Amino acid sequence: MTEARLKIALTKGRVEQQVLPLLEQAGIDCDLIRHKQRRLIFDSPTQPYEFILAKGPDVTTFLERGAADIGIVGSDILVEHRSTQYELLDLGVGRCQFILASTADFDPDAPQRKIIGTKYPLITKRYFDQLGQDVEIIKIEGSVELAPLTGLADAIVDITETGTTLRENHLQIYDYLQPVSTRLVVNRLALKQQQAAIYDLVDRLAAVVNATTPKEQIK
Amino acid sequence: MLNNLLPLGTRDEFGRRATTKQQLISVIQAHFKQRGLAAIATPLLENQAVFTPYQMGNYQYYRLLDPEGQTLVLRPDMTLPIARFLSATKVPLPQKFGYVGDIFRVSRRLSGSYNQMTQAGVELIGYPSIKAELECLTIANQLSSELIDDAVEIELGDAQFAQQVVASLTADTNRQAAIKQALFNKQIPDYAALIDSYRENPLFEFLQNWPRLFGQPETIFKQLRAAPLPASVRPALQRLQTVVAWMGKTMPEQAVSVDLSSQAPQKYYTGLTFRGYSQAGAGYLFSGGRYDQLLANFQAKNEPAVGMGLDVDLLTALALSPVTTTPTQLIYFEPEQWPQAEALLAKTPRAQLSLAPDLVAAQAEALQLGANLIDLTEGDYDD
Repeated sequence: MTEARLKIALTKGRVEQQVLPLLEQAGIDCDLIRHKQRRLIFDSPTQPYEFILAKGPDVTTFLERGAADIGIVGSDILVEHRSTQYELLDLGVGRCQFILASTADFDPDAPQRKIIGTKYPLITKRYFDQLGQDVEIIKIEGSVELAPLTGLADAIVDITETGTTLRENHLQIYDYLQPVSTRLVVNRLALKQQQAAIYDLVDRLAAVVNATTPKEQIK
Repeated sequence: MLNNLLPLGTRDEFGRRATTKQQLISVIQAHFKQRGLAAIATPLLENQAVFTPYQMGNYQYYRLLDPEGQTLVLRPDMTLPIARFLSATKVPLPQKFGYVGDIFRVSRRLSGSYNQMTQAGVELIGYPSIKAELECLTIANQLSSELIDDAVEIELGDAQFAQQVVASLTADTNRQAAIKQALFNKQIPDYAALIDSYRENPLFEFLQNWPRLFGQPETIFKQLRAAPLPASVRPALQRLQTVVAWMGKTMPEQAVSVDLSSQAPQKYYTGLTFRGYSQAGAGYLFSGGRYDQLLANFQAKNEPAVGMGLDVDLLTALALSPVTTTPTQLIYFEPEQWPQAEALLAKTPRAQLSLAPDLVAAQAEALQLGANLIDLTEGDYDD
């Protein structure tokens, strides 16, 4: 009988660079990905893994549709895209923080319906719902910092790792929302179909994460 | 706007897919008739109030208004309309129903999901005995064998188990709900943080292992025996063990597992639950369970009931797919072993007899078929 293979959708870019060392320490040969050129699918000839490189939101779509068994993606994307799959491990990398930021003259308590620019409308809405505030949300695809600087929005909800970009654009943080990190997520049915293989991988990665990841949070 | 575009999440069915689906539906309906199930068809449109208390899952309704301003929905579920029908009529109970029909759930936009799904199902209403669960499992087992080549695993669970365990930890209902949500969604980082405050509780070791409490029945029951669980879970565990033992005796070829870490397939289930999946499918082929309180949504009197729904679209996709992960079994035997070979053939999925004259020829035949060779000439075959 053919050996079962796990399809792993890995978020390309920074997540990929941070996670590859963890995978290698867990005993997974990542040479093909490190020398990927322009390829997006990597079928390991020696191990039961097939890697797919995709953008974060697409990783959630692959998982939801069962086109991938495992996804490695940021928790920001999982929340914003309403992932319903199993989140088995915090990989402890890609740590950053959702923040509310704006220019120095922003008054969070001003009696007005605020306009908020963000790439994350769902997370923004949940945050202001918790505060009991009705706000107008403007979806922005990139360089969210521009929104309060140009007068498009009163403030932004965005992710920051070190705060450098905010400082360089003369923005300050008014509140901290939830922290973000890279997670290992598993398709619900795949966990039943390939229980042993998935937990073997999860346990090896968990051992690496526990041995290497500092637990401090931003803030 | 072009007038020949389909609404999002819908599709036309034609050609091989439509033919295969119709054939599957015919087999299902014939099987229902053979088991003595009465056919029932309820309207596509229902009042929204029929479904309101039980919505679950990541979907919304298709809604529209009737001329009086009443909100109607395209039915997202088949069981609640049957409960509504029973409460509104004088149909005497018990009753066994079988149905095939479409349900409508608005999924996430542009996610590749279809919003119109065909479901077949069984509702056994007015039966308090576990025989109703066993009848559903029998139908599921027999239909799986009839409809698809791939082996199907039946997973058993219990709708009350998780609530009974968390209730023994804390009286705080919000905390109970948070632990259950993290457990059911296997959000392990959140779950680990939530159970951390129970380090001194005798159940802590069980709580740590709980998200992995699914798999082979013997392994799960062994873990359960070792845990200081509250007495309230004993009837459910006893029922599970009874059903596992019954399945082992009645349908020995059926793969069975137990899952006590997942949410029941529907919110209205109250007892034993079950689901089936194959290695090739991208979803559960069928799911069901006992729902003894559903009629209380519509009337004062409860009625015991067990139901099951089959995903006809997924069954169709599997029937259309040439891929199967269950290899053919080729049984090689000497002519005097024919009764033994026949018995093995009857209980082995995707098996056939090798008519090769000798073992070497049988091995070549197995290679050609891509099959596993079972050699009965080597002695008794024990599966």
